Amino acid sequence: MIVAEQKPLDELKQLVSGYDKVLVLGCGTCVTVCFAGGEKEVGILASSLRMATRLDGIQTEFLEATVQRQCEYEYNEAIAELLPQVDAVLSLACGIGVQTINEQFPEVQTLPGLNTTFLGQPTEQGVWEERCQACGDCVLGTTGGICPISRCAKSLLNGPCGGSQNGVCEVDRETPCAWQLIYDRMSALGKLDLLLELNTMKNWRPSRDGGQRKIVREDLRL
Amino acid sequence: MNYVKGLLGQIGLGGERLEMVFLSSAEGKRWAEIATEMTDRIRELGPNPLRI
Repeated sequence: MIVAEQKPLDELKQLVSGYDKVLVLGCGTCVTVCFAGGEKEVGILASSLRMATRLDGIQTEFLEATVQRQCEYEYNEAIAELLPQVDAVLSLACGIGVQTINEQFPEVQTLPGLNTTFLGQPTEQGVWEERCQACGDCVLGTTGGICPISRCAKSLLNGPCGGSQNGVCEVDRETPCAWQLIYDRMSALGKLDLLLELNTMKNWRPSRDGGQRKIVREDLRL
Repeated sequence: MNYVKGLLGQIGLGGERLEMVFLSSAEGKRWAEIATEMTDRIRELGPNPLRI
């Protein structure tokens, strides 16, 4: 899922300052699951902003709504009637949702309420960890299903490096060394011999280095 | 609790207005002490600024 965190309240107060009526808009997908921007968080944030702005002597009105998925136009039609009533939208979606609302409703300013952080998974209650960098050229098939691009601090294709000590990374003693995990996994699979093969240079063109990425599926186009 | 206390602090209402304590029904004396401490604390903080 896409994992995000809510921006600090002081920053959000600054973002919405100058607007009389703001729609706090949640998203019912990834950011609901990571407790950053779902219906519950919309309610808490809108109430917090109402109280905080009132304490500052500002009379801003905050409306609340949540759509199922802000990153797709058809789901956002549900709030189309609300948009003419407000001066700004404070979106609690990931950066994709914010930009979708911005493109779909250009007459209203859309502001980000979250910091979109990474693609990851919940590893225990209240803990999320990065698992994918969307590099566009997946190597999981050769690394025992453990991603060295997102989980190794150096994104090494052949590891571990000298900073791996007792199974942890030198960058953060709480972070397991991805290449130790890969070694252990390949050992369990009985495929350690595959690690003797050198991974050659990875094709980074499908990653961020080529600028904004785009997929066109002619078989699906109308 | 810690989350809500932090939130009240960020809002500007003061997280110290909120407290949770664990007591058994047999601890009447301790309950009275805590109620008095909390009442004194709230009196010192003054009324909720949003209701003034």
